[in-house]
Amino acid sequence: MDLLSRFQKAIIDGDADAAAAIAEDITRVAEVRPDAIINSLSGAMETVGGKYETGEYFIPEMLRSAEAVEKALSLLDPYLFERRRDFSGVIVIGTVKGDIHNIGKNIIVSALRASGYEVHDLGVNVPAGKFVDRVKEVNADLLLLSAFTTSTKQALVEVLTALEEAGLRGRVKVVSGGAAHSEELARDVGVDAFASDVKSTLAVCRELLGKRGH
Amino acid sequence: MNPRDRFAAVIAGEQPDFVPVIPVLDGYFAPRLTGRKNDECWLDGACMAAALAEGLRRLGCDGVVAEMGLGENPNVLGCPLEVRGHQVPLVVDTLVNGPEDLTKVKVPDPWAEGKMEPVQQLVEAAGDSVVIGSVRSPFEFAATVRGLIGFMTDFYGNPGLVRDLIDACFPATITLGLALAGSGVDALVIKDSFASSSMISPGHYLEFAFPSEAEAVKELGGKLPVILHVCRNSLPILPDMARTGAAVLEIDSPVDLIKAREAVGSAVVLKGNIDAVGVIEKGSRADVESAVRAALEAAKPGGRFILSTGDSIPSSAPEENVAALVEFGREFGKY
Repeated sequence: MDLLSRFQKAIIDGDADAAAAIAEDITRVAEVRPDAIINSLSGAMETVGGKYETGEYFIPEMLRSAEAVEKALSLLDPYLFERRRDFSGVIVIGTVKGDIHNIGKNIIVSALRASGYEVHDLGVNVPAGKFVDRVKEVNADLLLLSAFTTSTKQALVEVLTALEEAGLRGRVKVVSGGAAHSEELARDVGVDAFASDVKSTLAVCRELLGKRGH
Repeated sequence: MNPRDRFAAVIAGEQPDFVPVIPVLDGYFAPRLTGRKNDECWLDGACMAAALAEGLRRLGCDGVVAEMGLGENPNVLGCPLEVRGHQVPLVVDTLVNGPEDLTKVKVPDPWAEGKMEPVQQLVEAAGDSVVIGSVRSPFEFAATVRGLIGFMTDFYGNPGLVRDLIDACFPATITLGLALAGSGVDALVIKDSFASSSMISPGHYLEFAFPSEAEAVKELGGKLPVILHVCRNSLPILPDMARTGAAVLEIDSPVDLIKAREAVGSAVVLKGNIDAVGVIEKGSRADVESAVRAALEAAKPGGRFILSTGDSIPSSAPEENVAALVEFGREFGKY
């Protein structure tokens, strides 16, 4: 089994130690392309999601895999950052007010950085005003709002309203996503796009920034 | 029969005049229904008690769930909460971040500073209607104070902490349950929402949730009938839920009632399972009628059934649909 196949298996099995050991191997071998690593990681998480859908995995098993990803990415981040392409856009990201979940967001942050974006991560339970201030400060192209629970719909609306009031809504594209989040909810709220996982987030970012001429 | 007699008959295994209709009318729906805001009621027990009593009268159902305002109700064991307008109250930070924080879990004194008075007011206002006191299971308390993500990450990373935390939370379930019993409620619902097979495997349910659940049912069931609630899919664990000794199992909408009855046998009462969101919040009157008829056809024969929503009625549900649930329950629920 090659390195990336073993990497995928470690993530699917939720074996954080094995995933970290392989990540260290990758940084030493230094022959693995960043996009191959991200594709491998994304594929593994898709398999994990599939196992959840079919009832083979439950939330603790998904979290175990997410933890393996986080541990591996913490080791891979410098390797990926050194090999990034030129910055292809400036992104502000955070989990909205009233929500303290960060695992999914952290994985997205690593994947975005590895893909060459300049990412400003504001953390969790972020009030609308803080998003607006940072978007203005770094002249962000994209704002990514993570919302784990459907009860945070109002918080999403508040961010969009605050962007409007600050005169920034036309300048920045807004993407929302997160578990228990739906395309329908995103449409209701009025964001520009919805993304449900790493793969779709990267695709949406590419598409939106492409439309802006990046 | 009055609502309380009807409920008692079902618990005793006797046939009532009608299937009791006790939707999960609690602190999510009652404030908005009665023109109050969630933040007013969740922070003021008297306001919540008034909303629930008024909601019960207005809908004419057989019972209501006793929620106390969070200002008085230590149902989150001191975790910081945010309540804004009509939104659902949200725990915004965790109390326990590791083994060193276990001592932060304190058993609240429910009788201090008149904390149980709203429940007593509700019991009095409800008259002959059934009042069900609501308390979280030790497993759910543990998930709340640790945060759901951290708690479920610990299943593999630190299972000892999971068990220690559940042990630390166990007295809170018992203390609050006994206080509700002492305030005159007719039954207790132990909410074990996160033990669902939509969230954790049946193996983890048996390992982590079941032992304290069964122990709590044993301790509190000596005082009052205990209703055990698990959200979403509970079918794989229903035989074990019945094994706890709970008098009633509250079944959520994803579970087929016929399969549920097959899984638990005839001894235990089933309560459920109209879809609180898909049918009551978003459906039409015809959807409500169809769902009520289907539920009664599946579970009314042989008695031991209470018609209910599968979970709390959402804050934004239309009153007409909840009223239709009661209306069709009466129309088709006569024995």
